[in-house]
Amino acid sequence: MFIFLFSFAKNIFNFILEISTMAETNKGMEEEVASAFVNHYYHLFDNDRSSLSTLYNATSLLTFEGQKIYGVEDISNKLKQLPFDQCRHSISTVDSQPSSIAGGCGGIIVFVSGSLQLHGEDHPLRFSQTFHLIPVLQGSFFVQNEMFRLNYG
Amino acid sequence: MSQMDPDAVSKAFVEHYYSTFDTNRVGLAGLYQEASMLTFEGQKIQGVQSIVAKLTSLPFNQCKHHISTVDCQPSGPASGMLVFVSGNLQLAGEEHTLKFSQMFHLMPTPQGSFYVFNDIFRLNYA
Repeated sequence: MFIFLFSFAKNIFNFILEISTMAETNKGMEEEVASAFVNHYYHLFDNDRSSLSTLYNATSLLTFEGQKIYGVEDISNKLKQLPFDQCRHSISTVDSQPSSIAGGCGGIIVFVSGSLQLHGEDHPLRFSQTFHLIPVLQGSFFVQNEMFRLNYG
Repeated sequence: MSQMDPDAVSKAFVEHYYSTFDTNRVGLAGLYQEASMLTFEGQKIQGVQSIVAKLTSLPFNQCKHHISTVDCQPSGPASGMLVFVSGNLQLAGEEHTLKFSQMFHLMPTPQGSFYVFNDIFRLNYA
């Protein structure tokens, strides 16, 4: 249990360290931020889903397969209640752009596509997902907007 | 604009965008500005001129977008809107349709309309 907590704390620490180092340079860093965020998000999702709550706050919005959910509490509950215990995301593409002009709020849009393997299921599900990350004072980012859609064949 | 239902606004935008794309691609110039950014299948393009040049030089003349899903959310204090689309793209002469996802970040114009500030397009391969 201690080892688990330690490795989890180490993950968060590394993520924040990576992001705050990049935040200083600012210019064109959205790719690195997006890549670090995507790694962190899906690692948490696949290994410790309840810890995703650290990425949202009271103003966060999630649209999950068309269902709109507001705020970190309801978002956390939704993600915890998804009808599968184990899953593994495989990421195919990550695209990112700054969401405002230079000197603006510093937000970053991250657009992901990939597949999702549910434990016990034969075939993986393909998905696309959009995140809008907003920087916070400590040099990290939180998820202001998130939209998830399965891509059916 | 603030009185309008964001879902209705995003739906109207999506219909306008894809019908312009499918019938008058050069007309898309009216939807982008100098600061606009497009990432098209991983290629980054900036500014309305370069974006329209890219879209009008795509290697097909005729296409038709069929939209399956449209999701939207307000993006923050600047009154922007994020619009997340998935659907199919039928190219003239091709047997099978291509699945795609696309993300727009719309920003308001002083005239009460919207322009595309961010645009990210990806085909969804099986």
